[in-house]
Amino acid sequence: MSKPALIEVRGVTKVYAAESKVAALSRLSLEFTEGEFTAIAGPSGSGKSTLLNIIGTIDQPTEGEVLCKGRVISGLPTDQAADFRLHSLGFVFQAYNLIPVLTAVENVEYPLVLQNVPKHERRARALEALASVSLREFADRMPNNLSGGQQQRVAVARSIVHRPAVVLADEPTANLDSKTGAALLDLMQALNRDKGVTFLFSSHDPAVLERARRVVRMHDGRLADSAEIAQ
Amino acid sequence: MLSLAWRNVWRNFRRSLITTASMGCGLAAIMFGQSMILTEQHQLVEKATGSITGHIQIQAKHIKEFKFPDKYVDDDKKIEEALKSQPEVLAYGKRIHITGLISSPTGSVGVFISGVEPLREPKVTTMASYLVKGQYLPGPKTIMIGDKLAQRLDIRLGEKVVVMAQADDGSMGAEAYRVAGLFHTGSTSFDGQIIYVPLAAVQELLATGTHVNNFVVKLRDIDEVDRVQQELAEKLHNLPVQVLSWKNVDHEILAIQKFQNALLFIVLVIVFAIVALGILNTLLMSMFERVREFGVLMAIGAKPRWVLKLVLLESITLGLVGTAMGLVAGGAMIAYFSHVGLPLPIGDALSYFIPFPSVLFLRWAWGQHLFAAGVILFTSVVAAIPPALRACRLRPAEALRHV
Repeated sequence: MSKPALIEVRGVTKVYAAESKVAALSRLSLEFTEGEFTAIAGPSGSGKSTLLNIIGTIDQPTEGEVLCKGRVISGLPTDQAADFRLHSLGFVFQAYNLIPVLTAVENVEYPLVLQNVPKHERRARALEALASVSLREFADRMPNNLSGGQQQRVAVARSIVHRPAVVLADEPTANLDSKTGAALLDLMQALNRDKGVTFLFSSHDPAVLERARRVVRMHDGRLADSAEIAQ
Repeated sequence: MLSLAWRNVWRNFRRSLITTASMGCGLAAIMFGQSMILTEQHQLVEKATGSITGHIQIQAKHIKEFKFPDKYVDDDKKIEEALKSQPEVLAYGKRIHITGLISSPTGSVGVFISGVEPLREPKVTTMASYLVKGQYLPGPKTIMIGDKLAQRLDIRLGEKVVVMAQADDGSMGAEAYRVAGLFHTGSTSFDGQIIYVPLAAVQELLATGTHVNNFVVKLRDIDEVDRVQQELAEKLHNLPVQVLSWKNVDHEILAIQKFQNALLFIVLVIVFAIVALGILNTLLMSMFERVREFGVLMAIGAKPRWVLKLVLLESITLGLVGTAMGLVAGGAMIAYFSHVGLPLPIGDALSYFIPFPSVLFLRWAWGQHLFAAGVILFTSVVAAIPPALRACRLRPAEALRHV
């Protein structure tokens, strides 16, 4: 019996400007299950980031709907969408995007601050998350005192600290050199394997794609191919 | 959130320092202005009431020019009873004011004659304290004049002068008095145009019997003046008299106060407008620099109102720091000048009319200072509303694409 869908994308179309004829996504339908380690591949402009943004409820589809565990999450009111992201999603961005005035551990614990988790508990969980990305000893460093790879690992720790249903990573290795990128993928794989964290990440780098267990290929906003990769 | 707001404020240290310093300077300048004007107004009232007006005057009804009452008050016994029944009254004295002529062997000068009770008057006004030579009206036929007038008349202590004034019956009264005292107030008007004569001598000169022009009252606390005026007016409502406060008699002082307060208000508004623009500029720049960051915060689950609160909190932080800087700087300036005094050219101008010191020893105006500080804080919140609204209306996906 196949696993129930964690995320369902049903006939999603995204047109950015009303007058534009070109759709960033066109009648896209996809399903993702819990525990996946899936890459969304495709050239620039293929709609990878748009798809992640719509799944992440930070953008709205023009048509169609997205469901998470059977609940429609596209078109949620702003506050409900924020609550959904806060409790169910983790984000890793291409450019790390840590808050520069907060230390590594403070960055990691910020989703828990927004969840009003008590201070001692959130600090303990943030340190645990940092330990899981092997940065426990860098907890009190400011982002500008961390390398790019370390910053991205802090971002990964931030994305998992609140135990989300899925982590969305938009080109997480694009700003890293190949060795650091590979190390980050090792880390994401380990989290997926050991802690069951579901990862959906976009990339056009073949070296990254070959690490995924499933690759969804997109072209011009349409699904070109979806294939399980033998490890 | 407070910690994040605090760190956000100081991430661009120089810009925030300039903004808070401008707020601080504005507040300090306002506090200094408030203190200076309050001190000057306080001294103006103190000197005006202390040298001639008193806190309350009781005059005959229907007098238009309160400064120079030209009618007499009858039934002074009832007035004195009423005054004695008011515990707030520290002292009172009876007076006659009239214009006349003072002559010496070398010349004559038109003067303002003030007939005062030699024993009571020093408790009501401070004129006796300006005595530089001789005594304060030691006998019935003595006179105290200003040093400028003495110089003009070429008169020395102990010499005689003749004072002429028109009596009630229309005849000219003239009497010789010995110059018993010379005073110097620094005021051209007082030192050159006012003479002090015992009340009984003036009553004799004018053949008015025991009539007086007014009762001049000094209260223990000037702030009680309105209430005491009201109570005395009620007690004396059967008599043909009117009870006036210094505000009625020295109404031009109130006009000066109103003018100065209006001027201060305008300066206040200008300073606050500058402060508001400074904060608005700082927050807008900060917001545009952090669009992507707001996008990240929203993506990880921050609600728009959380972002709104963050920006407002940053502005309040700026406001609090600026206000604290202003209170310290303004407080230090006021403390310094309350100790060493502030030479003020306006003192010389005012001292033409009344004895007025040209050095102000600044006083605290805590009510006004705290109001100004409150307005600075309020301004910092109001100025933050546009950037805060802008930040909270950002769309996370667009904000994350912001370069």
